[in-house]
Amino acid sequence: MGAVLTLQVAINFVSPLIPRYLIGLSARDTFILEFSSTMVCLILAGKVGSNIASEVGTMRITEQIDALEIMGLNSASYLILPKIVAALITFPILSLLSTILGILGGFLIALSTDVVTVYDYIHGLHYAFVPFYVTYSIIKICFFSVIITSISAFQGYYTFGGALEVGKSSTKAVVYSIIVVLLFNLILTKLLLT
Amino acid sequence: MIEVKNIDKYFGTNHVLKNLSASFQASKINMIIGKSGSGKTVLLKSIIGLHIPEKGEIFFDNREFISAKLNFKREIRKEIGMVFQGGALFTSLSVEENVMFPLNMFSNMSKAEKQNRVDFCLERVNIKDANKLFPSELSGGMQKRVAIARAIALNPKYLFCDEPNSGLDPQTAILIDQLIKEITTEYGITTIINTHDMNSVMEIGDNINFIFEGENIWQGNRVEIFNSDCKELNDFVFASELYKKIKHNI
Repeated sequence: MGAVLTLQVAINFVSPLIPRYLIGLSARDTFILEFSSTMVCLILAGKVGSNIASEVGTMRITEQIDALEIMGLNSASYLILPKIVAALITFPILSLLSTILGILGGFLIALSTDVVTVYDYIHGLHYAFVPFYVTYSIIKICFFSVIITSISAFQGYYTFGGALEVGKSSTKAVVYSIIVVLLFNLILTKLLLT
Repeated sequence: MIEVKNIDKYFGTNHVLKNLSASFQASKINMIIGKSGSGKTVLLKSIIGLHIPEKGEIFFDNREFISAKLNFKREIRKEIGMVFQGGALFTSLSVEENVMFPLNMFSNMSKAEKQNRVDFCLERVNIKDANKLFPSELSGGMQKRVAIARAIALNPKYLFCDEPNSGLDPQTAILIDQLIKEITTEYGITTIINTHDMNSVMEIGDNINFIFEGENIWQGNRVEIFNSDCKELNDFVFASELYKKIKHNI
């Protein structure tokens, strides 16, 4: 995505008045502000969200959750809390990885094509860097990780019926997670950046 | 002893349990029988708190359960072992880990003691060389036996079995019945079995409750069942030609 973004920005920056280092800057800010947090979380909502909903939903319909309850355990806390904690740890790491790979993709374009020089690209990466953007991105991804895991686990936990309902819960988990992530993206951006 | 007093349970407008009362004798095998849809499973799940009745009381050795606080309910639940209809083994854990699970959660045993307890429980239910297998690798009968081993791991005072013989061949079903009977007798457990398998009832049932359309309309033992004049019970028990012949010969 970093390579594609760099190419598209470079192709659209046709005016000689626009400095070429803005290509590197736009790649950096796009990845830190939006792609590494929101876009990665939308992808994770599909992958992790459906996985959690179907796993917990299957445990519900096969009475494994009832078995936990009968043993005297708080099944919701036992099953869902570790997933939220795991997401809080792994999602920011994946976000960081996506930022690094995206910026590296743009660098490879600068290295292998003539749409932007390596110097301009790296200069753009350094130019007008706002450290708070990283904090903003981490705050967003922490919110999104809790949203995705809790909505998905909720959908799975309250699955009743059979295999068909597990599939429905999985779909609902992904759809609701994406909608709430997009909504919170707007709210957090408004609160943190304006 | 477990006592159920005047419980009502609704699902929407469907009145499933109707002012139902029953008593389950201590250290005996208590059977709940009835047609499919009569409310047996709802009754069983209400007793252990998976369904909350709208009205009534449930006592575990004079300790009221329905209105008890959650922490107290959890304490009582630690005294309960449950064998679910499908086994409900944790699919991500091996046989050994399934049986060890309640020990890890609620006992202060050392690792070696837990391992000994797991080996003992699995041996007790005649499971050999399967400690490392996963539930998906076991037959239906073996899954039920592992579920029984898990249920008895913490020496429960009460054992609940929801249709323990469903989906099993007659020979395995008899083995499971005998196993439950032996465990009940050996450890003095109050066992409640929900079934519509009349062979089980006649083999091991000490105290039988017949549920008809959400009401407990007959309670007795397996000898009395042959002399009952309850029409609904007779229609249920003597539905097959075999039992009609048995009754006729008696």
